[in-house]
Amino acid sequence: MMNGSPARPRRILVAMSGGVDSSVAAAMLVDAGHDVVGATMKTFCYSDDDAHADRKTCCGLDGIRDARRVADRLGIAHYVFDVEREFTRDVIDDFVEEYGQGRTPNPCVRCNSNTKFRDLFRRGRVLGCDGVASGHYVRLDRSRGEPCLLRGMDRSKDQSYFLWGLPADLLELLHFPLGELTKPEVRERARALGLVTAEKPESQEICFVPTGNYRDFLEKRLLPTHPAFSPGAIVDPAGRILGRHDGYCRFTVGQRKGLGGGLPERHYVLEIRPGTRQVVVGPGHLLEVRGVLVGDLNWLSGPPSPGTRLAVQIRYRSPVIPCTVVACDDDSLELRFEEPARAVTPGQSSVFFAGDRVLGGGRIRRVAGQPGSPGTAGH
Amino acid sequence: MHRIRDPIYLDHAATTPVRPEVARVMARCLADDFGNPSSGHRWGRRARARLEDARATVADALGAEPATVFFTRGGTESDNLAVLGSVRGAGPRVGGTARGAHVVTSAVEHPAVSAAAAKAVEEGARHTVIGFVEGVFDLEALRVALEQGADVVSCMWVNNETGLRLPIPEIAAECRRYGAPLHSDAVQAVGKIPLSLAEVPLDMVTVTGHKIYGPKGTGALVVRTPELIRPLHFGGGQEGGLRPGTEDVAGALGLAEAVRLATREESEESRRLAELRDVVEARVMERIDGVRVNAGGLERAPHILSLAVPRVDPDTLLAALDADGIAASGGSACASGSMGPSPSLAALYPGDASASLRLSFGRLNDESQAERIVASVADAVTRIRELRG
Repeated sequence: MMNGSPARPRRILVAMSGGVDSSVAAAMLVDAGHDVVGATMKTFCYSDDDAHADRKTCCGLDGIRDARRVADRLGIAHYVFDVEREFTRDVIDDFVEEYGQGRTPNPCVRCNSNTKFRDLFRRGRVLGCDGVASGHYVRLDRSRGEPCLLRGMDRSKDQSYFLWGLPADLLELLHFPLGELTKPEVRERARALGLVTAEKPESQEICFVPTGNYRDFLEKRLLPTHPAFSPGAIVDPAGRILGRHDGYCRFTVGQRKGLGGGLPERHYVLEIRPGTRQVVVGPGHLLEVRGVLVGDLNWLSGPPSPGTRLAVQIRYRSPVIPCTVVACDDDSLELRFEEPARAVTPGQSSVFFAGDRVLGGGRIRRVAGQPGSPGTAGH
Repeated sequence: MHRIRDPIYLDHAATTPVRPEVARVMARCLADDFGNPSSGHRWGRRARARLEDARATVADALGAEPATVFFTRGGTESDNLAVLGSVRGAGPRVGGTARGAHVVTSAVEHPAVSAAAAKAVEEGARHTVIGFVEGVFDLEALRVALEQGADVVSCMWVNNETGLRLPIPEIAAECRRYGAPLHSDAVQAVGKIPLSLAEVPLDMVTVTGHKIYGPKGTGALVVRTPELIRPLHFGGGQEGGLRPGTEDVAGALGLAEAVRLATREESEESRRLAELRDVVEARVMERIDGVRVNAGGLERAPHILSLAVPRVDPDTLLAALDADGIAASGGSACASGSMGPSPSLAALYPGDASASLRLSFGRLNDESQAERIVASVADAVTRIRELRG
């Protein structure tokens, strides 16, 4: 196996959410002869939230209990680490702030980049571990010296989009046992091992908003007087008022549903302007853009020079867009798409690829390369 | 590979292994005296005789009358019965069910008492919590509460998180003066400090088996005036109706043997544990900066050493100790395995958010382990602090 499990036995801390993927990842490491320690991070206190009714997600107490049962079954130690304070500061506060600014954040990216892996490494060192593993569907290629992060073999489950923010110096110590497997194979292994998590449903929602109703969540965290909840105008690109909305935090660039009737043709959200609380809408072809400006960069390989061709993925599960680097500095990267792409959403991650290899990523700041196009005005 | 040296169990306040003497008594009963004590035939009679032997043994060890010992299925049950049973029993006197009843507890009670008090509040009772002033139980606040009349007062004898001893004789005297029934959870006190109900007459006392090398799921509530409390279970009228259900005769015998041995060996064992604790305490204080002994300088039971360790997160500390073979616990374990805030420590040290490490000593420990324990704790703390930066 190329990357899943290191060749010589190690002591590895494996992040166990209580879901099927991380359960199998732990089992595979045990099977390969490693000294495995399970860890579950308590990120969020569900008892504070009515959403506790949803018992399917894997980060709450149920997740902790299931992870512990799996660890017991595998005969490995398992610890629960309370990271609620750090998670709230680094992930939830950012999520709330981004929506407040009219952007659409990826909290899972934020957690993987800033919280989860860094924390596990720190604790792992105290526990005498020389590696950290998780159940993400990605691969690490160690055949060429510096390890390279690659997409998972199962394209329908590939999670490389969420891992561009990993600190590059940690790659060497990371292990992703599931990278070569498909989801059905993972479930099959879980069943064969008799793990309680074998048939557990996928958690599609953000772990701290298990109901998926993030507006309710935001309303509890932002003041009710925050502009994101205040009524505003729905306007066309020329600024003509087409209607009203009751809070821009309900909108995401590219969205069509929920705009209300009365609009002349199929309209999409083109831009959110938090300063004036305007939601700009227009026909679908106006969503097509030629480039993107990305900030908050992280490189798993060295940063590219202008003129470099690469591929960019601008949302989870969307195909990559071939593009060329226009400009790159420490702060931001501008890309020009070879073909127009739809719906560049500020706040979402842009992940850069060379084939299957993740080069790095960043957060989308705005559309680029089209003077006068939505998104460039006023920035 | 990471190698674990011989593990050291330092969690005797959580639970203990069953002593061979206890296991022998129980095994004999399970095999030979299996009858139902309610049966009229010879098997029933034999089981009944064994059950009454157990009752007499517990009573004798605690300085109580056999008729006041009621077997339950553990410490939580005994505490619930004492608190909630008293509140419900008080109902008719104070008009209505539990409405108007008054529960008084200390601020450092185990959840088996504090959650039962919360349940009583749900049923309409009032709950007064008595705090501490610089670690000392606030007797004056207790007097103020008792002046309003109390239907049950519950104060643990020894605090499970810190080993702090509450001034039970003084509390008992106040309660007697005001005519308030006093309950004490003594699960951490039996076998650890001198304890005789003949000398300190209480109305109710909780004991359990598994903290003193007896079986889990066994306990007793000593009740001086059973007619004042209502049962929480309903059935065949066993245990005077206070705890119906076919009696666990083997469990009662195991509990009785454990209580007998613990109280008989108390003075010798508590001296031994205090010496061990003092050695570990002194060396830890030397080796680790900024450590505070919780309840240090106050009257403590000998088996618990609770340390507040600043600049260390408790989850990682316990995990690191476990990885090194040292089994300890935090302030107290909560359902998730991660630690919740500890109301006991908050009551004693308001505003202090330091991690607390509880080392609790017992029969699995001796002085030869002291250096290893201290080195392990000090190393873990140093590594965590270094990586924290």
